[in-house]
Amino acid sequence: MKSNFAFFIGLFGALLISWAGIVLGSNAQLGSLAPYYDDTDQTTYPTWMAGNAARGQLVYKDLGCAACHTQQVRRPGFGSDQDRGWGDRQSVARDYIYQPFPQLGSQRLGPDLANLGDRKPTAPDADDLLHLLYAGSGGMPSYHFLFEKREIGAGAQPSQAALNLTGSLKPEAGWEIVPTPRAEALVSYLVNLKNPYTYPEAAPFAPPKPEGEAAKPAAPAAAPGAAPAPPAAGGNAPSPSPTPAAKPAEGIAPSPSPTPAASSTAGGTPSPSPTPAAQGGSPAPSPAAAAASPTPSPTEAKK
Amino acid sequence: MSTKAEYTSSDSASSYPLLFLLVSGVSWLVLAGALGLLAALQLHNPAFFAHCPVFTYGRTTVMAETSFVYGWLANAGLALALFVMGRLAGEPLRAQNWVIGGTLFWNLGVTGAVIGVAVGDATGYDLLGLPKYVQLVLFASYSAIAVSGLLAWAGRLRQVSFASHWYAAAALFLFPWLLSIVHVMLFASPARGVVQPIIAGWYAQSAWTLWLAPLALSVAYYVVPKVTGRVMPSYEFASLGFWTLIFVGGLTGGRHLLGGPVPAWIPSLAVVSCALLLFHTMVVFLNLRGAFTANGAAVKFISFGLLAYVVGAVVDALTSFHGIALHTQFTLFDVAQRQLALYAAASMILIGGVYFAVPRITGKAWFSGTLVTLHLALTAGAIVVLIGSLVLASVTQSQELLDKNIPLGDIASHMHVWLAFAAAAQAVLLLGNGLFLLNFYLTACRILNISAPAWFNEQPAAEGTTP
Repeated sequence: MKSNFAFFIGLFGALLISWAGIVLGSNAQLGSLAPYYDDTDQTTYPTWMAGNAARGQLVYKDLGCAACHTQQVRRPGFGSDQDRGWGDRQSVARDYIYQPFPQLGSQRLGPDLANLGDRKPTAPDADDLLHLLYAGSGGMPSYHFLFEKREIGAGAQPSQAALNLTGSLKPEAGWEIVPTPRAEALVSYLVNLKNPYTYPEAAPFAPPKPEGEAAKPAAPAAAPGAAPAPPAAGGNAPSPSPTPAAKPAEGIAPSPSPTPAASSTAGGTPSPSPTPAAQGGSPAPSPAAAAASPTPSPTEAKK
Repeated sequence: MSTKAEYTSSDSASSYPLLFLLVSGVSWLVLAGALGLLAALQLHNPAFFAHCPVFTYGRTTVMAETSFVYGWLANAGLALALFVMGRLAGEPLRAQNWVIGGTLFWNLGVTGAVIGVAVGDATGYDLLGLPKYVQLVLFASYSAIAVSGLLAWAGRLRQVSFASHWYAAAALFLFPWLLSIVHVMLFASPARGVVQPIIAGWYAQSAWTLWLAPLALSVAYYVVPKVTGRVMPSYEFASLGFWTLIFVGGLTGGRHLLGGPVPAWIPSLAVVSCALLLFHTMVVFLNLRGAFTANGAAVKFISFGLLAYVVGAVVDALTSFHGIALHTQFTLFDVAQRQLALYAAASMILIGGVYFAVPRITGKAWFSGTLVTLHLALTAGAIVVLIGSLVLASVTQSQELLDKNIPLGDIASHMHVWLAFAAAAQAVLLLGNGLFLLNFYLTACRILNISAPAWFNEQPAAEGTTP
């Protein structure tokens, strides 16, 4: 290596390649992902976080909650995420487009929180979470600094916001435990963590049916805007899908146009019907479809 | 080759900037050890210090990692990279004022980062615990320090360059680019949605493969042939190994995002790149295998680090596969892997490098050879226990995470015993590194008392100084 110039060009080129490939590549693919308009609900998904919740995400970030909690539900068959009731479907890139600081996390010392506000059968409400933050449980310590212990003035009413504590946690008479604004914001964020809408790309992966059932047609695209049909829809049937909306490779690319009208045509919007190409066989996988089922179906079926 | 002949005027001429970097680095190592111990105790007993908002577990881990990586590894790595560059150039370092100024501001920046995380300005990304406001300071000060190394490269007396050259130059040149890219795309004008974690993952991997690993390898490639006194075997492959690391290394970060809400090509690319990177690891192992049979404390540290580097690369490649990642993802196995890379590989090689370099920079032997031996024994033992206990904890954790009937709180309590071992190992590491700082301090006192240049043979050379 005698040429200084060639050496540094090489170094720079190497960094440029990985930057262009991974950073710019994924930015081109996902950076302008559009929200999804649902005709039936007359709403776009995902929804914006309510006012205080956005501030709560800052509290979540600055306390380092992501050191123990992830916010990404994986697909069935890859971990027990959905069996544990952390979500009905896997997380997809579109879930995060309105989050200023997506906190995917990398450790699961505590449960996943991606869908905390929409857990089945019962999601914790704000009071439960405040109690949990104050009292702690299992591996989670109690965060008393998020609360204020204050005296109830003579003849004054206790605060509406005061925690309803029992047992050893109950403060002495005349005192109350009140969440600070930070705790309120954090809890407001946590209860707003929900992914209620199943985007086409998040439709659960359906293993191919045995031969006999394969002829069953794919779910009719009668209501193109509606949530896609459940997994039983035979999405990987080898027969060509009769849906008019099946324009696989390019058609699945999310339209940047948020106009409602676009979603009812076959044009550039994702088709909610799980066509074979959209479900994993696509040669040029869209971000969403690729994330939905990275492995081809036969291997999945063998497991 | 005698050590006496090795102390040259070009070394003594550049001793102050290098010692400044090294003193800062070793001090950060001890501070990082204390924070790491606190984090390990909190992992073992979550209630420990949880009432104190400055020391929530989420913050202490980030503080420990930041002071370890940007405090210890960066300072020591820069010092040794400049040492290697200056030596291979054959003349005193130029732009020394830039190094001193840069070191001052680098350390102010890292201090600001640790305090910033403590008061709640963490970024929430792995290996990037740098609040927005210190990033530009770090960028500028790193560039200032790197100027000196790159001038030494450009002004070298001989045209040829060596493997230790390439790795040092890569680390000096590439880190400012990395930091500036991540500053623009994550903080100045943040990308949207999951692109942010993808960028952060790319940065974390590149910071390892394009910055920290080259810093360590530069030291290893310099010290090992010096100590063994032999030509490196299979040296003709060294440049291929280097370019493989530089071109492929940055692509391997996606393995952490497997199964996540990202395009599938990112983890797929990581599997391929991890496998390709094994070629680089093999070349490093072949070139430097002489270290495993050499004597001397410095090279013992380095051979421990090289072994960890090789094991780490193989484990990275294995865990990038879907079937294995299913068991290791989101568990403490990730933490063990990171400790294997940062502590067992990079840090051990750099410690070896410090033991090798200080006598050659200052012309003074280490104060105590016993302390060096003790340091080696304590650190090597503690790292094995630390990584072993984290792996064993992750085995329990991984099995129980896959069983939907076991609540997360129970899993934490089932790992209790292993986490106690991990915390004990952190305590021993802190002790060992405290001895390192003590020895460094005593040696520095000896240097400052005697102003005239002195030769090695005045004092019996400590074990770390004899090649």
